Amino acid sequence: MLELRRVSKHYSGIAAVEDVSFSARPGEVTGYLGPNGSGKSTTIKMITGLLERTSGQILFDGRPVDADLIAYKRRMGYVPEEPHLYTHLSGLEYLTMVAQLRELPWRRASERIDGLLRLLSLHEDRHAGIAGYSKGMRQKVLIAGALLHNPDLILLDEPFSGLDVASALVLRSLILQLAARGKTVLFSSHELDTVERISHRVVILHRARLVADDSVEHLRSLMELPTLEAIFSQLAVEQDSDSMARSIADLIDA
Amino acid sequence: MRRLIAALGKTIGDRLPMQFRVLHRQFLLRVIDLEALSIEADIPRFLGQFAGVLIMISFLHAFAVYVAIVQYPWRLEHYLISTMMLVAGLVTVVGWDAIFPDRRDIMVLAPLPIRPTVILIAKVCASATLLGIAILALNTAPALVASLLLGGLHTTAFGFFQVLAAYAIAMLAATLFLYCTVLTVQGIAALLLPRKAFLVFSSILQLGAFALFVSVYFLEPALGTVPELLAPSSRPVLAVSPQFWFTCVFNQLNGTLPPELSWLAIRAWIALSAVVLGAAVSLLLSYLRTMKKTIEAPDLVPGASGLHFTPRRGGLRTAIALFSLRSILRSRQHRVALAFFLAIVFAIGLTCLRRELFTPGHEPVPSDFLISTLMMLSLTVFGLRAVFALPISLKANWLLQLTQLRPTAKYIAATRTTLFAFAAAPVLIVTALLALNYRPWQHIAAHILMLALFGLLFVELALVRFDKVPFTCSWMPGKANVQVIFWGAVFIWIIFGALAGMYEHSALHHPSQFVIMAAVLLAFTAATASYNRARARTATLDFEDQAPELITTLGLLVIPEPRADDISKSKMG
Repeated sequence: MLELRRVSKHYSGIAAVEDVSFSARPGEVTGYLGPNGSGKSTTIKMITGLLERTSGQILFDGRPVDADLIAYKRRMGYVPEEPHLYTHLSGLEYLTMVAQLRELPWRRASERIDGLLRLLSLHEDRHAGIAGYSKGMRQKVLIAGALLHNPDLILLDEPFSGLDVASALVLRSLILQLAARGKTVLFSSHELDTVERISHRVVILHRARLVADDSVEHLRSLMELPTLEAIFSQLAVEQDSDSMARSIADLIDA
Repeated sequence: MRRLIAALGKTIGDRLPMQFRVLHRQFLLRVIDLEALSIEADIPRFLGQFAGVLIMISFLHAFAVYVAIVQYPWRLEHYLISTMMLVAGLVTVVGWDAIFPDRRDIMVLAPLPIRPTVILIAKVCASATLLGIAILALNTAPALVASLLLGGLHTTAFGFFQVLAAYAIAMLAATLFLYCTVLTVQGIAALLLPRKAFLVFSSILQLGAFALFVSVYFLEPALGTVPELLAPSSRPVLAVSPQFWFTCVFNQLNGTLPPELSWLAIRAWIALSAVVLGAAVSLLLSYLRTMKKTIEAPDLVPGASGLHFTPRRGGLRTAIALFSLRSILRSRQHRVALAFFLAIVFAIGLTCLRRELFTPGHEPVPSDFLISTLMMLSLTVFGLRAVFALPISLKANWLLQLTQLRPTAKYIAATRTTLFAFAAAPVLIVTALLALNYRPWQHIAAHILMLALFGLLFVELALVRFDKVPFTCSWMPGKANVQVIFWGAVFIWIIFGALAGMYEHSALHHPSQFVIMAAVLLAFTAATASYNRARARTATLDFEDQAPELITTLGLLVIPEPRADDISKSKMG
């Protein structure tokens, strides 16, 4: 189980994440929601160890992750928000490098790389440079790299970004299947419909602070609102979207 | 002075169209890849340091002019023009692709109401500005000294100004010739070749030009006197050497050109006119086509057919070695940076080869061969180490941070292996090939053994305080003192290389000396390796270059010691 205890991150005194506590259980999908700039990606980067937290504790299976960061990294897979890859490598070269850096046995790694490339429809372009890949293809490379070592904890930061409908459906199903096999899955997304369909729990962040942490059904009945979108709008959206849109149209029309 | 330049720039700049000014500034700043820089990078300081290196060279040139120009005018003038052309060549090669807008430029600029000619002129002017700075930095001091000394030999009162004008025009013409030659070749290639073939050809041409400029500079014969220049045997060299043509242009404008050499000055003017015209026509014709082709280029280019070398076996060492190799082979920026060092290595190697080819029969190993190969080795190792410090994609480094499953020492060990395999080992092989004509074999074997020991030492020295994976740490130009490093390296390299080579030459004939030399090298290598390994055990991998910690106080805050009477007053109060 992944557990965050009063985790905060401050930049020059400004809180990017403030006093956030929640847990993500194995066998469950935890959706992590929040408007732009609310601190979702910062939280996920702190969970991966890419960012140092200002205060608080992060535990995985009851142990602080920094007690043995290397052992923790071996069990974690991560898809970042932006598809930053070494674009001078081909898809195959990149995944092979990931496998070598992760010290995977070469035969098993080789089978998995080939299999993932085929299943994600990248096999034909495996020798082409990533620089030429579309956003969706890059996202698929990132997903393959995150799953290559069969991790126990899967962190997905806006994993549907750039994927076409068919690939998004596959990924949605894949997330559920991974959770069903006992993995802990934490994923952030702006696609509230998808989050509502596949998440066992949702955690909502607003202005760096946690405002909700519960199952979707419980939140619906508690707030007497029909959808996750309505719940999210009430908890984390401040402005009236219609009036905002009208103001923008008026401004450029003036 | 700085304010004067700024004011002058503002006065000229304000008269130019806004679009041109904005684009020119953007293109000029992009001489350094901004994505590769550290957050704390100081680009103006870095450019200032390089200008400083050129100004230092110019002062050395001024001193050489003061000492020798009256006695050996031709030799010195030829040297100054050759050096200027070398610097201009290097600047041109570094900014090789700067003339044609890249895909990002086109995607940003094409939707905007900007005429392609404005983009072309801004691009050309940005490159020309850099060249202008190089010309000024390198030539101001020697031009003034040469004008004072040679101007004194003129009978008229305007001698100083005549020499100064001749010097300035000759240098400008030589630089313009070189710059326009490169533009012409690029323009014609862009015009004739399909886009994909042009991109491949252009990067090969860029490296070839680099090797050519440096090789010509080092290998061109020194013809120092008028009789030497007039000798029939010199004619073939003079006919194909632009450096001699423009030396004759200087003398023509100065009124000191012998009539027998006037054909060289005429050749210079014809060649200059031809390349200026060629550059203008080929660029204008190819520019629109290139922009169109760049837009039309497919987003996904299929991988090249044929053999794809992606070994699945191996761990960290293989991953880092292959990543390094692919970064060098596929990144233009890194190839060019490495080519700067390899071009000198190539020139030295060519000198050795020429000696071998023109020597009949076998001969003993000469000391200059030992010195040359040692210099080749040091340049390759430290050159590759310098290129390792330039990152390829900072934003993608999260992968290495996230997959760091082993201690830092293992990563540094992998870097060590990579450096030895790609820098030291090839030089050992080339040395063995270049030494085929020398005898006895034992001396060759002993020299290669000694070079291997030097290679190990250089690799260890190159890794002192280098806690990085190659091509992953951001680069902070301006942090290091380029002046000190450059001159220190040049002097140490020359002195150390010469001394080590001469000692080794003697040691090859005296086994006891050889053993002592090998033992000393081993001891130094072991000490450096031990330091590096001890340091690596506690180090963390660097992905962001940091400025050295430095606290500067202005001395404005002074806390006075309390006086005795103040203390007593406060107690009474």
